[in-house]
Amino acid sequence: MKLGWRIAALHNGLRDATAYPIEFIIEFLSAAIAPAAIQWVLWYAMFKIGGAQTIAGMDYHSMIHYTLVSILFTQIRGGDHDFELAEMIRSGQLSNYLLRPVGVVEFVYLRGLGPKLFISSFCILLGIVIGFVSGMSPLRILGSMLLALIGNSIHYQISASLSAVSFLWEEAYSVLMVKNMLVSLLSGELIPLNLFPASYQWIWKSTPFYLYVFGPAQYALGHWSDAQFFQQVLIGGFWLLIGWGLIRISWGLGIRRYLSLGG
Amino acid sequence: MRSLRYFLDIYRVQIKNNWVREAVYRSNFLTSVTVDMIWMVVEMSLFTIIYANVPTLAGWTRPQVYFFLGIFFTSDALFTTFFQRNFWTFSDLVNKGDLDILLTKPVHPLFLALTRWMNITSCFNIILGISIAIHFAPTAGFEGGIRWFLAFFWLGIGLISALLIRFAFSIWVFWTERSWAISKLYYQFFSFASKPDVIYPPWIRYLILTIIPFAFIGSIPARALLYGLKLWEYRLIAIVLFSFLLLNTFLWKKALNRYQSASS
Repeated sequence: MKLGWRIAALHNGLRDATAYPIEFIIEFLSAAIAPAAIQWVLWYAMFKIGGAQTIAGMDYHSMIHYTLVSILFTQIRGGDHDFELAEMIRSGQLSNYLLRPVGVVEFVYLRGLGPKLFISSFCILLGIVIGFVSGMSPLRILGSMLLALIGNSIHYQISASLSAVSFLWEEAYSVLMVKNMLVSLLSGELIPLNLFPASYQWIWKSTPFYLYVFGPAQYALGHWSDAQFFQQVLIGGFWLLIGWGLIRISWGLGIRRYLSLGG
Repeated sequence: MRSLRYFLDIYRVQIKNNWVREAVYRSNFLTSVTVDMIWMVVEMSLFTIIYANVPTLAGWTRPQVYFFLGIFFTSDALFTTFFQRNFWTFSDLVNKGDLDILLTKPVHPLFLALTRWMNITSCFNIILGISIAIHFAPTAGFEGGIRWFLAFFWLGIGLISALLIRFAFSIWVFWTERSWAISKLYYQFFSFASKPDVIYPPWIRYLILTIIPFAFIGSIPARALLYGLKLWEYRLIAIVLFSFLLLNTFLWKKALNRYQSASS
């Protein structure tokens, strides 16, 4: 297993993302603040205006706490590298990568992971600072970040498999957009998933998306025990295996149809 | 009058050209409709989950919020149909020097820059949005009847607001060269438009009614139709939109002075 090109890809991705530092900071802040502000607004409307005391076992302060902690993990999930893969297939640029002695899916992932690792380091520090005030254990924050990074890998694997639709259909970006919309609701980025009515809880439990934001936030906040955390890491590992299989199948089938002619 | 007719003639040609292009890329229709339908479902699901936990949200019942969403979806679909694609290519106008060609035409370059591309397939989403509003109107307490004509006026206000705000976010490409982050910032703020303004804390509500008036896209139109507005709110809308028009005109002139025609 050659590490050289992998480290270079990570480094290259980080440099690419931070080439325009002001853009990078604006993107980071806007992606963090807007979803949190929307959450806070909802809690404000439900508790302060509506006068509710507890909702799904959480009071106003628990909701705010969840919102603050979820910001740390919303920055880790996702990225646009799945769209990059789909565009490479559609436009025929994939050919350039097929000539190189690296796996294209892994290469694109590592390039996208570079800035995420940088952001996750920053979020860990931020989490530790928040933890000092709110009493969250630094170890739990580290564990949560690990879960969020597992979520990031699963997310990319699913996205890379979906981007293989580009081998068949040039409008594959729409599949990725639909996936992103579902993820935003089912990851816990918009609302804590325990707000789902009991009869609909199975929806988020049957996808791995809750491992992106809701799961890490639950562990960081102390709502999950260490045993539950390790159970979720195992579940994450299981989803990683499924994701790996999905990539092998979808790209194996797709590459046979690839004509390298562009879209 | 002659000038207006001239612009209308050009606009008619733009629609024809876009229609021909859409006819070529027919699969785009299915794609666009599917993506927007899922987006609508996700937005409605969010409120469905919230209303599973509380009976009202800042005094708004579930059908009232769905009615608001119908108006918001329609307003957004109008913007998507007629303007959105032009903003996606707006940075190319500056960075690749494509604006050169528009500046040489005997029409206002901004008119061409903002109307060249349309997304005709999004017309279907206009129908979807209106259908949602019509479906929930009776239970939301909307009187209906002749008041539906008011909906056209308020949708027009929503469209103009979206256009002015989006332009105010895009024009900075003349200075920053890369507009990707600012465009993303627009879409992050845009999520404020997808909730009724009454649920916001006072200072955020103040912001979305003045400095970044995203509430004008869907929330104010829906509230005006459901409850009517106070006199000061009508004045506020007029002042804010007029101020944005002045600001955008000022920035456009400054931007043209700065433009260096990258392609030449």
